[in-house]
Amino acid sequence: MIMKKQYLWFALLAILFVSCEKELDQTPVSTASKTAVFGSKDGLEMYTNSFYSILPGRTTKLDAMSDYLAVRTVPTFIHENAFAATLSSGWTWTDLRNLNYFIVNCVDPKISATDRKHYIGIAKFFRAYFYFEKVKRFGDVPWVNKPLDVADTLILYGGRDSRTLVMDSVLADINYACENILTTTDQSRSTITKYVAYALKSRICLFEGTFRKYHTELNLQATADTWLTNAATAAKTVMDEGGFSVYTTGGPDKSYRALFTSDSPVASEIMLSAISDITLKVLNDANWYWTSGTYGDKASFIRTFINTYLNIDGTPFTNNPDWPTMLFKDEVKGRDMRLQQTIRMGDYKRIVGGTPIPAPPVFSYTFTGYQPIKWTLDDMYYDSERLNTNSISVFRFAEVLLNYAEAKAELGTLTDADWAATVGKLRQRAGITGGLDTKPVEADPYLIENYFPEITDPVILEVRRERGIELCLEGFRFADILRWKRGELMNMEWNGFYVPELVTPMDLNEDGILDVAFYQGTKPSPAVEGVTYVDVSETIDGKTNPQLLKNGTYGELTWMNNMVRKWEDKMYYYPIPATDLITNPNLEQNPGWE
Amino acid sequence: MKKILLMLLFLASTVLYAQRVTVTGTVTDSQGNPLPGATVQVKGTNVGVLTDAGGRFSIETGPGSILVISFLGYNSSEIEVGSQTTINVSLQESVLGLEEVVVVGYGTQKKVNLTAAVDQVTDETLENRSVPNLTQGLKGVLPNLNINLMDGKPIQAPSFNIRGTTSIGQGGSALVLIDGVEGDPSLLNPNDIASVSILKDAASAAIYGARGAFGVVLITTKNPEKGRTHITYSSNYSIKKPTVPDFVTDGYTFLKMFSEAFVNGDGSFPQNVNKETKFSQAYLDEFKRRVESGQPYNEVEIDPVTGEYVYYGSTDWYDILYKDFTTASDHNLTVSGSSDKAAFLVSGRLMDQPGIFRYSSDDYSMMNLRAKGSIQVLPWLMLENNSDYSTMKYYNPFSVGEGAVDIWNIIAVDTHPHSPMFNPDGTLTTGAVYSVGDFWYGKNGITMKKGVFKNTTGFTASFFDNKFRVKGDFTLRKDDVENVTKRVPVPYSSKPGVLLHVGTATNDLKNDWAKTQYLSTNIYGEFEDTFNNDHYVKVLAGYNYEESTYNRILVTRNGLIYPDAVDLNLALGQAITTGGGYEKWAIMGGFSRINYAFKDRYLIEVNARYDGSSKFPSNQRFAFFPSISAGWRVSKESFWNVSPDIISDLKLRASYGSLGNGNISSYIYQEQFSISQSSIILKGQLPQITKNPAVLPDGITWETSTTTNFGLDFSMLSDRLRFVGDIYTRNTTDMFTIGVTLPALYGATAPKGNYADLQTKGWEASLSWRDHFNVGSKPLNYNIRFTLADNKSVIKKYNNPNKLLSDYYVGQVIGEIWGYVTEGFFIDDEDVANHAKQSPQMRASPTHIWYPGDIKFKNLNDDDYINIGTNRVSDPGDRKIIGNKSPRYIYGINLGADWNNIFVSAFFEGVGKQDWYPSTEAEYFWGQYNRPYNNIPLWHLGNMWTPDNPNAYLPRTMSRAASNATTRELGVAQTKYLQNVAYIRLKNIQLGYNIPKDLISRIGISSLRVYVSGEDIWSWSPLYKIVGKGHMDVGNIGPRDQVIRPGAGADGFNYPIMKSVIFGLSVGI
Repeated sequence: MIMKKQYLWFALLAILFVSCEKELDQTPVSTASKTAVFGSKDGLEMYTNSFYSILPGRTTKLDAMSDYLAVRTVPTFIHENAFAATLSSGWTWTDLRNLNYFIVNCVDPKISATDRKHYIGIAKFFRAYFYFEKVKRFGDVPWVNKPLDVADTLILYGGRDSRTLVMDSVLADINYACENILTTTDQSRSTITKYVAYALKSRICLFEGTFRKYHTELNLQATADTWLTNAATAAKTVMDEGGFSVYTTGGPDKSYRALFTSDSPVASEIMLSAISDITLKVLNDANWYWTSGTYGDKASFIRTFINTYLNIDGTPFTNNPDWPTMLFKDEVKGRDMRLQQTIRMGDYKRIVGGTPIPAPPVFSYTFTGYQPIKWTLDDMYYDSERLNTNSISVFRFAEVLLNYAEAKAELGTLTDADWAATVGKLRQRAGITGGLDTKPVEADPYLIENYFPEITDPVILEVRRERGIELCLEGFRFADILRWKRGELMNMEWNGFYVPELVTPMDLNEDGILDVAFYQGTKPSPAVEGVTYVDVSETIDGKTNPQLLKNGTYGELTWMNNMVRKWEDKMYYYPIPATDLITNPNLEQNPGWE
Repeated sequence: MKKILLMLLFLASTVLYAQRVTVTGTVTDSQGNPLPGATVQVKGTNVGVLTDAGGRFSIETGPGSILVISFLGYNSSEIEVGSQTTINVSLQESVLGLEEVVVVGYGTQKKVNLTAAVDQVTDETLENRSVPNLTQGLKGVLPNLNINLMDGKPIQAPSFNIRGTTSIGQGGSALVLIDGVEGDPSLLNPNDIASVSILKDAASAAIYGARGAFGVVLITTKNPEKGRTHITYSSNYSIKKPTVPDFVTDGYTFLKMFSEAFVNGDGSFPQNVNKETKFSQAYLDEFKRRVESGQPYNEVEIDPVTGEYVYYGSTDWYDILYKDFTTASDHNLTVSGSSDKAAFLVSGRLMDQPGIFRYSSDDYSMMNLRAKGSIQVLPWLMLENNSDYSTMKYYNPFSVGEGAVDIWNIIAVDTHPHSPMFNPDGTLTTGAVYSVGDFWYGKNGITMKKGVFKNTTGFTASFFDNKFRVKGDFTLRKDDVENVTKRVPVPYSSKPGVLLHVGTATNDLKNDWAKTQYLSTNIYGEFEDTFNNDHYVKVLAGYNYEESTYNRILVTRNGLIYPDAVDLNLALGQAITTGGGYEKWAIMGGFSRINYAFKDRYLIEVNARYDGSSKFPSNQRFAFFPSISAGWRVSKESFWNVSPDIISDLKLRASYGSLGNGNISSYIYQEQFSISQSSIILKGQLPQITKNPAVLPDGITWETSTTTNFGLDFSMLSDRLRFVGDIYTRNTTDMFTIGVTLPALYGATAPKGNYADLQTKGWEASLSWRDHFNVGSKPLNYNIRFTLADNKSVIKKYNNPNKLLSDYYVGQVIGEIWGYVTEGFFIDDEDVANHAKQSPQMRASPTHIWYPGDIKFKNLNDDDYINIGTNRVSDPGDRKIIGNKSPRYIYGINLGADWNNIFVSAFFEGVGKQDWYPSTEAEYFWGQYNRPYNNIPLWHLGNMWTPDNPNAYLPRTMSRAASNATTRELGVAQTKYLQNVAYIRLKNIQLGYNIPKDLISRIGISSLRVYVSGEDIWSWSPLYKIVGKGHMDVGNIGPRDQVIRPGAGADGFNYPIMKSVIFGLSVGI
């Protein structure tokens, strides 16, 4: 009997073994399968949502390296002899793999061809965007249009493709996007539409057209006009069909800044925006970045750039021969009303616990006196961390107008009507009264002398002035400098407002309270209540003082001019990071960076 | 352990026949406790009896005969009966414990017959201590069982490591089995533990196959006691005191040093102290004036311009944060007993440890219930059941001002000595609200609950005189983990009458619930016999199946309608995040073991397991893992003529085996599109996103760990001295790591494959001495045990042909630290000019200019720059290997003695060699060299370079100097600031008294013990020579609070180590 029982046990064991073995086949259930993703519109939508992280997002620091900002420390890239391939970055291709995987696999016939083309159009929009950024940074790059396999050694270890091949492919992608994206409008201004695609096309084509025109060493001047024409027609499509307009509802003293400080995008002008929303807990760090003495770059405008803001009547500010010694409180008066919406001046106020208090430039933050407010909210509540609720524009109609104006100006075909519809519109919004309807005929010598010595065409000069002012701090400036081949602008002196004498405190916003005084050696005693004293001695404690006055005891403020910024032609491209050259030497380093 | 032996003996059959005289008596241990189940035998006959539950026996014998009294684990005693009719015997515990039985996989084994590397501790190790959970109690007790407690948090329960680095591919830690079934040791009742055994080499772990690749920890719970019903109640009460850092608390000193550090490191005069309070030269001057004029501190004034509060305070924030001490209590009741056919044990425990935070206390509690029983249904069949229900609850408060941040980090960042806790109107200040004030408000934190229910039902069937046994069991376990996180805004005020809030961006409730259902079944047969007296054979074969199903639900919603809401129904906002989760795996395997011993002299053991796992693709699913071990008891040889007084036992052991590592994530070989929520708002919501699946591995097969082990056991001087030593090599081959780095153009990490090899070499040894002598005519027993272990791992194969230092490389010793050699400080500008350029690799000031008082690094490669070269082994720039962060020479020292019912013991543990380079965020070490507004460690004062103090330990004051590990002069690893964190810790010390029986028996108590014990009360490390004793415990250098920021570094932002004094008693009825 006992033996029988034992057989029973062995039988039971055998059953257990067989019944359990099928449990060794397990499939994941908390993730989706390929068919589920590519076989439904929801799946395609869900996948294309992942592309949006390619856009710069809710950042306001894209201009930290530009010619018009003085910052806390000289960016390593433009610091003399400081940058090298070992410090370079940006040779990353993970986003491209994600895009290509989608484009190659979006073939499920369960989805109509039109819909598939729409989603592929979205993917190609982002691929164009992706490659445009790569070309801006590195020049020639390899063109890859499929998710690579380990066995694709010819591509993986191959060299770079020519600029023309890559940019022609980019153009093909953006054209496909323009033609196939079905969405024509998105009231939330947060997703890609046909007209956002056209706007990107105008941006890319303007860049490429001017780059080829001014970078004569490429020998591609002959193709420049085609790109410029493409830029103009793409922009024109947006102007004619897009349904956007320049926002003026807030009046000349408020409309401009409302575009940058509104929670919901100003839908008439903003075309695509990185949205912030307190209820969804999606916030940005604009106030933190632009007000913190430790977190941000402590960026301030330099005086040379502030001087380009026109007088309210449309005449150049620098036509007044007294400008070099004008005090801050005076020089900011009677100007293009975008100035008061861009920096702290006049009766600008901040809000503390619900109470508005006067807010002159503060010298524990600014080094030049021209302290930006374009992206910041007035309430100091937002200053301390990532709390900002304003949405950050990525594409806006004003840029399209400027792209149009510049392309036409470069082509030499800009008409008075074009002028009035573009730059004229923007100046009108800023309260400027003169020169709105007819294109300029006089070249401003200040612009030629300080910015563009080789440009004589007054239209090109004025379009460039306009672009600098209208789009400042929006992340365009460095790319503009590259395509205009004006890298030397990065060497410009970092200067601030004019200080007539030491020790005497100045009232910057004319509220009757003295704000700042400059001294050398020992701090004046007794100190005047509320005044920030800034030491402008040559050295402090034996160390070179970066904050000086140009003429020793008087003159413009200067900041960190002891750290030499030196532009070299090789800087039109970043070097390929050293480690990437080790893994693939066939890439070959960009000239000058070897 | 003892109880298992009792049971075995109880079952052993004995024969009894009539004699002329009846001798009665009691067998006790040296402390007078009765020994039930001891054998009393008439020498030279097979007449014998077993003692009953009270240790009593009655045996008939003739005068002149000799009684042999023996009990496993004790030296047997021979007593001439003579004319006595009453004989009371006290047995001495066997010095060597040679008869000791050790728990091994699917059974037990006599220690003398062990051939593999197995070690064990019994319940004594955990007696009279107060540890929040079992894992913490096991730290340091077994050589090469490595438990890295990262701080003093009561829920700390890291995974168990045996013998060092396991795999840099799939990873893997030791398999932990509780009564044969996988489980979480931190949820066990420490009082339930009978023994903890570790299987260290492949030979001993092979029976567990794929899960045992890196050793096995077997935890066995107590079995019912035989005989009458016993009730034991034990309780202890402890007082616990935190380690409190010594920071500068004087408001003016703090601000003055803040502004100096800021000017040097941030490049301008500060406008705020971080973001909390406005700062200006005028404010600092005014503060100075007040200090110098003797005006009282802690005044709050109002700025006439802005109307905001201005603070002139001096606050010791850690004093407000921590209670001076906290307490803990532990109550445990065990009822156990048996009859002829049935046995039972029921135990319950309540453990309660109120938190150390003065406000928002992090209370910890645990409840355990166990019911265990067996019944002999048929003469050959016994059924057993063992169920365990345990729950743990912990409240982990955090600060919400910047999202959810651990308190230690947020004090460093946002809370400064010059700011008081409250404004005059009772509202929180801007400094307080981010940290300690948030705790005072008391609403932000995570309520963590863990519960486990486990039931094992099993049977044992014995056949052929118990020579063949079949055992089977089935286990169901359910784990529940619930975390509820609440974040609500905290009110504060920066000007009178205006109430503001921090944390307004969150205001939400998150429920994260995970359940695991686990099934396991084993069935195995065991045959054991001895042939011709010389050939002992034991054969075991069986089958094992396990599956685990994990499910998770995660919901977050914002818009709590009032701050005390705790249910999702009261969250009305539109920011809703949901998440699911699922994983199921199954393993099955057949296992077998054969033991053979010839004349107890030659021992051999063969293990094998055929294993299948759902985590591998079908063509790789099954694998076979064999192992072999052998032992030679030299002292049993006929040629061995050494007196037992000198060498009483000598055994040599060797083992070899290879195991697959099944420690791999499920589904890794299948293409998966994971779905997550975007952080970008599209069309007014945060949509779900998916993207390209991870690249599939380049083929996948089992990682293999192959261990060769040699062991030596000997005992000397009449068993008083005992040594056990093992030396091993473990090769982990085919580790699942990334392939050769592909060009970045590939767009993904190179596909993983079984590409890398690692070798770990190590050894462990324990030496113990046990003896007694008489003091005042009473025996004083004492013992000393010293354990020492070491291991070192080297990469043998890895896909990094260029030997880039950013990744593993062939020849790398795990843990090595590359760094610069510190030459000293720059003396003057000329010194700077003549030295190799340290920019652009590093900077000491925002202007990139180097000044006197900045660190000067040695130019090792004689080029013009100090840098990292191409960051390769062949070109590391000016760096070299300066140390190693792996702990080496891990030791433990046990001292114990008892005399006349008094017992004392001490347990020290420590590390002989270990380096630590404080991470950039290590505020306790770097102070304001990291953030300018960090707290200043007291030891910094007078220790910073100035022209008058050129030989200081630290460079000139400067914020950000330690803020980046590759570009800042203190952030980069270097010789001068590399810390020696070897240590010794008095982990536990005890003094107790067993009240003599005659005093307590009349009140019906059979045993009563009182004791006082100390836990973690002393430690020493060379680190203390730098930072001062008391500022930080060497146990606090681990990574920051892992509950709030899992995986993050930032050494020292973690829970303080607690020193405890414990008072306890134990009553037995």
